[in-house]
Amino acid sequence: MLEIKLAFKNLLGAGLRTWLNVIVLSIAFVIILFYNGMLDGWNEQARRDTCEWEIGSGEIRHPLFDPYDPYCYQDAHKAIDADLQKLINAGEITPILVTQASIYPQGRMQNIVLKGISPDQKLLKLPSDKLNGGDGDIKAIIGHRMANASNLKIGDRLMVRWRDVQGAFDAKEIVIADIFRSNVPAIDAAQIWVSIDVLQEICVMPNEATYFVVNDEYLKTHREALAPNGWKFASKELLLKDLNDVIKSKKASSGIMYGLLLAIALLAIFDTQVLSIFRRQKEIGTYIALGMTRFKVVRIFTFEGTAHSILAILLGSIYGTPVLSYFVRAGIPMPSSVDQTGLAISASIYPVFSLGLIVSSILLVVISAMIVSYIPTRKITKLNPTDAIKGKIL
Amino acid sequence: MKIFLLKGILKDKSRSLLPIIIVGLGAMLTVLLYSWLKGVIGESIIMNANFNTGHVKVISREQAKTPEQMAIDLSLVNIAELKKELKKNVSDMDWVERIRFGSLIDFPDSEGETRAQGPVIGWGLDILSPNTKERERFNLAPSIKRGKMPSKHGEALISEDFAEKFEVKPGDVFTLFGSTMEGGMAFQNFTVSGTVKFGAQVLDRGAIIIDIQDAQQAFQMPDAAGEILGFFNSNLYDTEKAMKVKVKVNAMFASDTDKYAPAAITLQDQEGMGQYLDYADAIGGILITIFISAMAIVLWNSGLLGGLRRYTEFGVRLALGEDKTHIYVSLLYEAVAIGLIGSLLGSFVGVLISYWIQQVGIDLGGMMQGSTLMMPTVIRTAVTPTTYYIGFIPGVFSIVIGNALAGIGIYKRSTARLFNELEV
Amino acid sequence: MKYIKFLLIFLLAINSETYAKYPDAAGIIKKIDENMFSTNRVFESVMTINGKRSSRSIVSRTYSVGDEKSFTEYLSPASEKGTKMLKLDNQLWIYSPGTDRIIQISGHLLRQSVMGSDLSYEDMMEERKLTDIYDAKVIGEEEISNRKCWVMELTAKVEDVAYFSQKLWVDQESYVPIREDLFGKSGKLLKRATLENIKKIQGRWFPMKFTYKDMLKEGNGTVFEMTDVKFDQKIPAYIFSKASLKK
Repeated sequence: MLEIKLAFKNLLGAGLRTWLNVIVLSIAFVIILFYNGMLDGWNEQARRDTCEWEIGSGEIRHPLFDPYDPYCYQDAHKAIDADLQKLINAGEITPILVTQASIYPQGRMQNIVLKGISPDQKLLKLPSDKLNGGDGDIKAIIGHRMANASNLKIGDRLMVRWRDVQGAFDAKEIVIADIFRSNVPAIDAAQIWVSIDVLQEICVMPNEATYFVVNDEYLKTHREALAPNGWKFASKELLLKDLNDVIKSKKASSGIMYGLLLAIALLAIFDTQVLSIFRRQKEIGTYIALGMTRFKVVRIFTFEGTAHSILAILLGSIYGTPVLSYFVRAGIPMPSSVDQTGLAISASIYPVFSLGLIVSSILLVVISAMIVSYIPTRKITKLNPTDAIKGKIL
Repeated sequence: MKIFLLKGILKDKSRSLLPIIIVGLGAMLTVLLYSWLKGVIGESIIMNANFNTGHVKVISREQAKTPEQMAIDLSLVNIAELKKELKKNVSDMDWVERIRFGSLIDFPDSEGETRAQGPVIGWGLDILSPNTKERERFNLAPSIKRGKMPSKHGEALISEDFAEKFEVKPGDVFTLFGSTMEGGMAFQNFTVSGTVKFGAQVLDRGAIIIDIQDAQQAFQMPDAAGEILGFFNSNLYDTEKAMKVKVKVNAMFASDTDKYAPAAITLQDQEGMGQYLDYADAIGGILITIFISAMAIVLWNSGLLGGLRRYTEFGVRLALGEDKTHIYVSLLYEAVAIGLIGSLLGSFVGVLISYWIQQVGIDLGGMMQGSTLMMPTVIRTAVTPTTYYIGFIPGVFSIVIGNALAGIGIYKRSTARLFNELEV
Repeated sequence: MKYIKFLLIFLLAINSETYAKYPDAAGIIKKIDENMFSTNRVFESVMTINGKRSSRSIVSRTYSVGDEKSFTEYLSPASEKGTKMLKLDNQLWIYSPGTDRIIQISGHLLRQSVMGSDLSYEDMMEERKLTDIYDAKVIGEEEISNRKCWVMELTAKVEDVAYFSQKLWVDQESYVPIREDLFGKSGKLLKRATLENIKKIQGRWFPMKFTYKDMLKEGNGTVFEMTDVKFDQKIPAYIFSKASLKK
């Protein structure tokens, strides 16, 4: 108790010097929180969007299917058997058929991916219900990136050419029934979605699929064998690996940045500690002369240094809370080009400040402050009290 | 007096060592932070400029309609003349021609028949001229994993991951197979001189880099190129200057009615880069201000401490009859000296480390693979002219301010208290 | 009721008269096949590709046997001279003299256009007899390019066919189609071939000039002009071997 009182009294007594240290450390603290909160928020949003729009709780894939290799689409499809059909009817999985096709903007051929999805599916957020009806027209939905890139509006018609399973060419106009806005480029750029029934028919791939998106229910009921016979299963974590890697790399990058900032703040505390031990030799000598153990004196001084961090956290909370909670509400705007990196990123990131993040940031600041406060105090243990009182040693 | 003070600083370690170390560390951290931030924030801009957009890009009008989808059949022709014109009219830029292409690489078996094939995206760059900056723009030398830089025509660099997938090593010969500018068949043999890893998914999946002249030959494009990129000699993007160049270049060809006449676009005209640039500038500005202020506060504090450390000494000097103002001024001189020495040392070390990180980069991505991301996983610092002096701002100014504030105490000292202190 | 019966009979009569008016469709396409297909042929041709920026002509000599073997050597321009292409069944190899390499074209690459033309490698390779893949029907008579033609509708009877249906304008004199419209299953016109300059060679009528146009793309199409055609030649077997590519 004595140490605590003493520490704060000493600190506050030092006035400006203490507050300068505290301000810098509090900035480091708030920035650490801000950055990690932003990345956690991004991570959460991107994972959620990717699951809701693209991958559900995982995918059952044709063994040859590789989404990054458009040339495999030709062979990566097969019939949906009765067991899978039962799961489709139960709403646990939804089939998607993928094929390559061409469109002709301004008379130049451009390759795109044609994807078939059930208009009745509820598993993904895609507005597939808009694919219903059509009076003989093939209805299609596209994302806003595709719409912008090809200059398409709702109601526009465009010629699509494809080849059926036997390689026969065909072409037909499709009508853009809806343009959806999603943060996930993987279901948007250079892609056109049509009803799976239509795609199966025009490609002569009756009741076939390239892959299925599954929901949580499926994971529960098929815990033992996730991959049905003849198909392979790609788990959510596997599909989110890219995203996790990017977040990890961003965390490392921002870690270096706030690590440097923290180092600056700690440098100040270190300097202060060195000086206060130098200036207060007489005091230290007196403590020891009065019978205090050297260890206890070290503790007093260490605590005094560490107390900077406590003040910094308090100060940081005073101005950081309104600032950070503003961002939680309003989001952090992101430039639109960021999503051209191929990652799911929204126009605004809403940072997430979990309890874990706050506690770990506090611990990081306090413990690192404690370490730099302790290092200069080691001198005390070698101190001869009489010399110290005379101020002759340090 | 200055030399006397300097001698004092150098000889009296207790007076100078710690402050210099602190200022030095502070300046070093500032330099590192600054170059790191510049590197991180500028990374995708620099990468985009170097790989795709240049600061200003000249392409054919037809190509300018869809600048992202480079098509070899929409290339510029008569580029020697065009480059001469560009150099004449816009002299403070480095104008370089490039050919971007998509094609197939075919690896032969021992019979010379197809063993394996894979699609690649490729660049024809000026990598062989002695004064070319293209090698640096693509950061080729540090990116090489195996083998070496191409040193003569007919040599190529290919992605390490791609090479691994097809079991290819430096020295192997392959055939580039694609379409010529006119649509004919393009075949050209190359020797793998080395493999590269750029740290960006799109490129590492399958890319090839060959010399521009080899590309012109392979794709039958004599005196033609897909694009001519302009880079400011300062190597820094300047929105206003780029806009001026764009207007000027477009004016040069205003009377030309050809669909394939040259047209200029700037970096921020392309793929939402404009918005990103503004954003990056704003964020970078805010962060750098915060960090410099933090460092300034720390060193200011350090100055305060430095002044306090020497109260006893000042007492003695006052007792000896030295003028208060004289002490104060000498204190400030010393602060300047310490600030300069510390900043100099710190900046030196800081720039050295920054420069090193700029060269080798820090790979944060680890084993990122299998995606289409165009995102750098290797982060580098950026050493800009500012890097060299940024450390001095907190280093010198703050320490002087700190000492100046601490030194005010000198005027408050009364002779009575001085003798008290001297008794110890 | 009686009236309706009468009408039916009348309609049937007209209908049978229509059939009588037009010759048997199967007979026509058999005649077309006899003209257009041969056990083998050797020809020289000039392919003119009308690009957006420029046109160019490529001269080549081809040896082919039915639809399973063909060998083409490019003679000019200089940039393509010496390039050779060998097709055996569904495989295609290209030899380029500049690189001295034999490169196999497979999978998706077969769907790419040949030398920037409106023809893909697959289009070039697809040379099956009409009688093998289509059911035919004569649907009318029309005059185009000053020639009297039977208008025929061909519908695929096999599944692995590039174009589900064709509309042919067959010259009544020579039994050579002078226009072919190629349709997808949905009825969309995808490609149009115009055949001109019909000559009698070795007892068969043969068009010396073909113009192909991809109807979805912009551009003026590709012109294929025969300069010398010989049928039923003795072609040494070694021509259709990979070894001959490098010769």
